[in-house]
Amino acid sequence: MKKTRKRYSGMESNIIGAIVMLMVVFAVVVSVLGVLSFNSAFKKEISTSTYHMADTATMLVNGDELDDYLAGEKKEEYQQAKSYLDVYCKKIHVSITYVIMVDTSDYGHFVSVFNCVDNSVDNTSYTEWEPGYRRETTNDEYRRKYKAIYENGSDCETVFRFNTTDGQHPHITTMVPVRDSEGNVAGILCMQRPISELSNARRPFLITTAVSALVIAAIASVFIAMFIKRQVVSPIISVSKEATRFAAENTKGESLGKISSYEELQNLAGSIETMETDMVRYMDNLSAVAAEKERIGTELSLAKNIQENSIPHKFPAFPDRDEFDIYASMDPAKEVGGDFYNYYFIDDDHLALVIGDVSGKGIPASLSMMATNIIMGNRAMMGGTPAEIMHYVNNRICAKNTVGMFVTLWLGILEISTGKLTYTSAGHDDPAVYRRDGTFELQKTKHGLVAGGMADMVYKDIEMQLNEGDKIFLYTDGVPEATDKDNNMYTAARMLEALNIHREETPQQILKGIRSSVDEFVGEAPQFDDITMLCIEYKKNHTGGTNA
Amino acid sequence: MLNIIKKEEEGKLLFELEGRLDTITAPDLEKDLMSSLEGISGLLLDFEKLEYISSAGLRVLLSAHKATAGKTEMKIVHVNDIIMEIFETTGFSDILDIE
Repeated sequence: MKKTRKRYSGMESNIIGAIVMLMVVFAVVVSVLGVLSFNSAFKKEISTSTYHMADTATMLVNGDELDDYLAGEKKEEYQQAKSYLDVYCKKIHVSITYVIMVDTSDYGHFVSVFNCVDNSVDNTSYTEWEPGYRRETTNDEYRRKYKAIYENGSDCETVFRFNTTDGQHPHITTMVPVRDSEGNVAGILCMQRPISELSNARRPFLITTAVSALVIAAIASVFIAMFIKRQVVSPIISVSKEATRFAAENTKGESLGKISSYEELQNLAGSIETMETDMVRYMDNLSAVAAEKERIGTELSLAKNIQENSIPHKFPAFPDRDEFDIYASMDPAKEVGGDFYNYYFIDDDHLALVIGDVSGKGIPASLSMMATNIIMGNRAMMGGTPAEIMHYVNNRICAKNTVGMFVTLWLGILEISTGKLTYTSAGHDDPAVYRRDGTFELQKTKHGLVAGGMADMVYKDIEMQLNEGDKIFLYTDGVPEATDKDNNMYTAARMLEALNIHREETPQQILKGIRSSVDEFVGEAPQFDDITMLCIEYKKNHTGGTNA
Repeated sequence: MLNIIKKEEEGKLLFELEGRLDTITAPDLEKDLMSSLEGISGLLLDFEKLEYISSAGLRVLLSAHKATAGKTEMKIVHVNDIIMEIFETTGFSDILDIE
């Protein structure tokens, strides 16, 4: 499988590398252990066989007569024994067989009695020692061995010389006691046997062992690697590939199927598939929701447009009428709202002024607001006093009101030629009235019940006279009940204060002033309710001049 | 926040309201109130600790008024000045029995 990652090393090569390394270490350990046990078995075997040879050779030497031989006596017997030894040594294939008498005071030197050399055995060049040849003990190891035979009753001592420094070939020297007839140690028979066989046998053994171990290790590596690759690495790589693909494409891929016999990996694959299915479903849902939201947003913005166009919003409203100046604004808290204002001529001399606030906000309120505005407009055009019109409007709203909605309505009719204003309030906030050279004050009167509350309610007409420069400010409760982040209300008192700051300005400037005063008060808090305002200034005798 | 304390005595139902009766809390009161009107002989709403009432709250009162009209006596007591002003502005003082 090709590696798909560049910056990170692939887990596959790492795992296989680790397995191969482990197997090589295993092969080395096996080889070393094999050679060590081979060595020990060989040494045991060769020392035992040499012991038996040496022990047999002692039979050819009469321990009672060693001193005599050295003294030059019994020459015939000596020659007899020497020739037996020579023959025996040749038969058994040893380099040197010698009998020595060691100086037991310090084992520092010895005297040779017999010495049989066969240089052909190990391609050596020894010369036979004469009887009585005296020699220093070779080293401490020999000294200890001699002592063990003489003093500790040892029946056999062995010295291995693998790494000889004195030019000798590797050999084993086996020492057995030569006893006299009383069983005392009279001398030592030493047999020097080459062990080049060991070195010779050891190399092929080592090679065979090492090669076998390496081959087994290599085969095992391949099988383990294949197994791990098939059961672990490949499944993980396919899960990883699928996850990478999904992250990039965000689409449901083909099923991973059965990727491993291991439960954990199979679960992982299953979880990836489940996750993909869920994610794809969530994404679909999300796009559907987003599309729906977009659609609703579009509809709302259209609805907002329709609502804004259902009320007059071009200023100056009546450019050819200089008897009055009017300005109004409506700012819903949401896209659409339940507040509205309106003004229209019933006839040439009568201007209707309307402001209303449907309970609630948003779409339901906006539908009621549209209906109310139309009912009111249609009825007002048919004539009658504001109270009569309101009576009708209230009954019409009540008749179709199944959801307990109601609307506060204020309707005034201004007779432009005389300045006489007749109005009625169906539960709507009191208007603020400004008298020329005075201040804005709330015009408190008795109110009728909100429209839509109960049918057949009776409303009362209230009359007031407007003079040059007088102004009326109408508003919905979104103004006095505008709330700051600490839940404090703007209040009608603050509204009056702000009105009086701007009292001598035009209706448009007054509305702007109130709006900025409200905004300043509210601060960061979101607009909670629709805010609607209307202001009219009566300028009957325009040429006579006003304070505005 | 609105705390609704409901008491019943000899078939008469008493609701003590504490806090603000606005868009957020009105549905709670409506649910509670409208479900308990069946078979009662009187309804008393105590507004002593009520600080504010919005149009949504007025709507609940109107619903209750309509549901009890001609059947059960519905009375509102201990109305503070702020709420009384709202009742007067909206004309509710004309139709509700307020003490």
